[in-house]
Amino acid sequence: MTTAVAEGHEAGHGNRARRMQGDLVLTGRGRFLDDIELPRMLHAAVLRSPHPHARILRVDTSAAARSPGVRAVLTGADALPLSGPIPHYFDPAIPGGKTHGFRCLAVDKVLYVGQPVAAVVAETLAEAEAALDALRVDYEALPFVLDAHQALRDDAPLLFEDWGDNVVIRNVFQEGDTERAFASAPYVLEDEIHIQRYGTSPMETRGYVAHWDEDDRLTFYGSCQNPHPLRSNLATMLAVPETQIRVIATRMGGGFGHKFHGYPEEPLVCVLSRMTGAPVKWLETRADSLLVGAREMAHRFAVAYDGDGRILAIRDRIVANIGALGSMAGWGMSFVAGMSFPGPYKVKNYDIESVAVVTNKAPWNGARSYGKESATLALERMVDLIAEKLGLDPVTVRRRNFIESHEFPYWTAAKRLDSGNYAGVLDKVIELAGYDERRAEQRQAHGQGRLLGIGVAFELTPEGGDFPGDLSRGFDTSTVRVHPSGKVSVLTGVTSPGTGNETGIAQLVAAELGVPVGDIAVVQGDTDSCPYGYGNASSRSLNLGGSAAVLAARDVRERMAVAAAVLLEMETATEMVFTDGWISAATDAERRLPFAEVARTVFTRAIAIPAISEPQLESTRTYAPTNLLHIPDEAGRVSPYPTYPNSAHISVIEVDADTGVVKVLSYAGVDDCGTVVNPTLVEGQFLGAIAMGIGGALWEDLSYGRDGRPRTETFKQYLLPRAPDLPHIAIGSQVTPSPFTLLGTKGAGEGGVAGAVASLTNAVNDALRPLGVTVRKMPLSGPTILAAIRAGARR
Amino acid sequence: MIRTNLSYHVPTTIEEACQIVRSADSAVVLGGGTMAVPQMVRGERVATDAVHLRALDLNGITLSDGTLEVGAMATYTDLIRSEAAAKYADLLVTVATGITGGAQIRNLGTVGGSACYANPSSDIPAALVALDARLRVHGCGAERDLLAAEFYRDAFRTGLRPDEILTTILVPAGECWAGYYKLKLSESSWPIATAAAVVRRDGDAWRGKLALGGVRATPMVIDLTPLLGSGGGISPEHVERARHLVEEQLDAPWDDELAPAEYRRDVAPTVAARAITALNERLASR
Repeated sequence: MTTAVAEGHEAGHGNRARRMQGDLVLTGRGRFLDDIELPRMLHAAVLRSPHPHARILRVDTSAAARSPGVRAVLTGADALPLSGPIPHYFDPAIPGGKTHGFRCLAVDKVLYVGQPVAAVVAETLAEAEAALDALRVDYEALPFVLDAHQALRDDAPLLFEDWGDNVVIRNVFQEGDTERAFASAPYVLEDEIHIQRYGTSPMETRGYVAHWDEDDRLTFYGSCQNPHPLRSNLATMLAVPETQIRVIATRMGGGFGHKFHGYPEEPLVCVLSRMTGAPVKWLETRADSLLVGAREMAHRFAVAYDGDGRILAIRDRIVANIGALGSMAGWGMSFVAGMSFPGPYKVKNYDIESVAVVTNKAPWNGARSYGKESATLALERMVDLIAEKLGLDPVTVRRRNFIESHEFPYWTAAKRLDSGNYAGVLDKVIELAGYDERRAEQRQAHGQGRLLGIGVAFELTPEGGDFPGDLSRGFDTSTVRVHPSGKVSVLTGVTSPGTGNETGIAQLVAAELGVPVGDIAVVQGDTDSCPYGYGNASSRSLNLGGSAAVLAARDVRERMAVAAAVLLEMETATEMVFTDGWISAATDAERRLPFAEVARTVFTRAIAIPAISEPQLESTRTYAPTNLLHIPDEAGRVSPYPTYPNSAHISVIEVDADTGVVKVLSYAGVDDCGTVVNPTLVEGQFLGAIAMGIGGALWEDLSYGRDGRPRTETFKQYLLPRAPDLPHIAIGSQVTPSPFTLLGTKGAGEGGVAGAVASLTNAVNDALRPLGVTVRKMPLSGPTILAAIRAGARR
Repeated sequence: MIRTNLSYHVPTTIEEACQIVRSADSAVVLGGGTMAVPQMVRGERVATDAVHLRALDLNGITLSDGTLEVGAMATYTDLIRSEAAAKYADLLVTVATGITGGAQIRNLGTVGGSACYANPSSDIPAALVALDARLRVHGCGAERDLLAAEFYRDAFRTGLRPDEILTTILVPAGECWAGYYKLKLSESSWPIATAAAVVRRDGDAWRGKLALGGVRATPMVIDLTPLLGSGGGISPEHVERARHLVEEQLDAPWDDELAPAEYRRDVAPTVAARAITALNERLASR
């Protein structure tokens, strides 16, 4: 749980209020999960499978149990009666896919290197880890498959024998008559792009502390994004009433989807605490963290277009290598990757199939951009390829295909786009990047034999998703409580992964009540005190939790307005103005009372003063955007995402022709996430997202060896961008409010990853064009690019 | 978390350090600890005794009898700040400046530690080979010097005997110029390939050596002496010759998760040529 109190006085939209508790975090005094030390607390360590696919024949715990300091040893078979299957974050069975019930420890067989097989609890972490070495497990190795296309073959080893194949689900998104459009199109191109497995690497890894007290009540501290749904699932797994569980989401050092729930260690620490009668802590190591996969997809696409570069039809077959499934939220990215088509473009015929395939890699969890980066990458490659074939500027082809501002709301197969001025965003980034000058420099560089490339990309990011049938929600709830002192608490169902959304929420409530931001405390992440909510996902926190808080604050304001009017001996219907800590009559600013005095009077004299009949200054409201459409319209369409922020990106890079290494020379991005509450927070998210996209495009790679083992255990194998790797990133903003949200907000947080991935990929291919070389496999690292250059030279 | 009980020693004499190493079941000798400690935390390396050399006064960098003596505990930052190193072995300063990992690693990591770790994907081994450095090692009751070129036996394997500890790196301090090039994939990447081109003048005679790191298990050496011009520089034709020599001699390129062997084979001649170009520029500006 975090309670944040703001400093400063900046309320309302567009203000750069100082981030609540920012100083605390920046100076290392913020407390995180690993800072929790409970009396008698024990430490858990997890034995993980060394095999990508194997049957477990025998687990011998005897030596481990005798190891110094050890208090409990648990195997998968032992755990069966202690915890039920882990409920899926999104169960693929709901939209018609195959599913499987995963346990906290593997029982009969392991499906990937790193799968939890047994656990040890000891007095110290060192003793627990030492005891892991004393555990003996006999395995019978089974054939395994790492590549998704191989996993689709008839003779591929099966992860789940009862499935009959390795396909979780085939998601299909269609509109128009694609076949006919292709048959009659003047031009058709075919190509492919493969995005690698890469994740999000939060600075703080996952961690949990479980504590069963004497009353059989469980307190669960977790570095987790969705404390309420996690509590519901823990209750199911552990067969205890939800009311006996308190989940506290601690201050987070990054979420990004990595901390969506569904992990085996969540029930595991609870079981271990119950077994030992003591609090148990488990922390994810960096190597554990790097097991979690995401994003690995191959697009094989065809595009039909006319001589002006207008896209007539798209076909794309996406194969997503989602690893061994698991109960986390990962596979859903394959759905969203398909659903995101055709992005910002007016394409009336398309046929997209996104196939989620299981392999013997570790399971996915959510990763910032959640499949949207994959769709954006493929779409933006298509647009650039059309431009190349027709000899047009890639900017021109985008302009010719954009949905225009007057066409919103705009329906696609599974989205109703809310609003936008895509051409306006692109114009702004062209100016910011100095696009024409950059092209002139490129021509000059080509003359000198340098491989300079410019990459344009446009990103459309569906946000705030709601998927019926599971505990995800496209709506959320906040309570506003004014205390007798006039200070204000906001309790909300949304959480902060470290982005600072609590500051934005405080700004909104402060503006409604006319009090300083510093008088607002925002409480998040505690299931005992906050309203049921979905926590943090899909750039939703400010849009949903903030809007709910605004509605609740308006309720409270209404009651206080009546009380103030009564105290000022005016009509109760008198319009009152709330500003600078005063409540004053709209018609006569001299007739006023301090906000705190009115609050105190309501608490001390309600009912006693008969006209003040509402004695409680508290309201709880739930807010849902009106563009969340689950009931099919006459054409059978639904829209599980309500808002559609967008952004445009231009990067300039140089490829070293002799080593293939890419240097990013400059970068410009302009985003439109609707109404902006705190520009500093939004800019921080946009910059971070761009850095994450550049990292993924160029370096980050959760690769596997042929032996089925992950090759990345530390940041020396998994290369994240560092400051010297990145250029100055120039950013700009455009505001096109959503007509379907209370405040016009669309959500910020994810936006930027996809645009950066696509922009860098286009830039590298633009740089290689003089050599006649195209790179289709990512990351665009030195070895990959040099291999492509050499292969091109041999042709 | 370090899983096993570990005795931590801070010996005050090198002889004491050697005795501890000899009598321990398994000892790990710590310089800065930037490699060994994380490995122990991850359980990749298990030891009963850690012998930290911090109290041995081995961090000096001094000139003595025409030899630059770099103490085994000198950090990268010590090198960067050393006037003696800048004057007599600026290659080491260049290398230290480019060490991956930022200020924390440069303040903690030691040249001696890197020399003994013998990681193919690191800067120090090839730089020492290029400089004709000798490594002075202390065993129980005895001291000997090993040529850097002979010190590196295989990836992560050196000529150190089990109870020997590196104390000093000795670099000949005559007239010497160097060019260095390091290829890495990004800032946090370990070097994929490095090349140090060093020429020395002894009267009118020039000698030159090129040492490549990262491209195979141990540093690879090319004799540049036949390619040197009268001013110590290397002509474009001879740069081409050097590229060919690298290509011919690189028999078993190093392969790891960052770059496959074919990549190292491909870039090694380029990296060599760029180091030679840097050397030529260095000579031209002397």
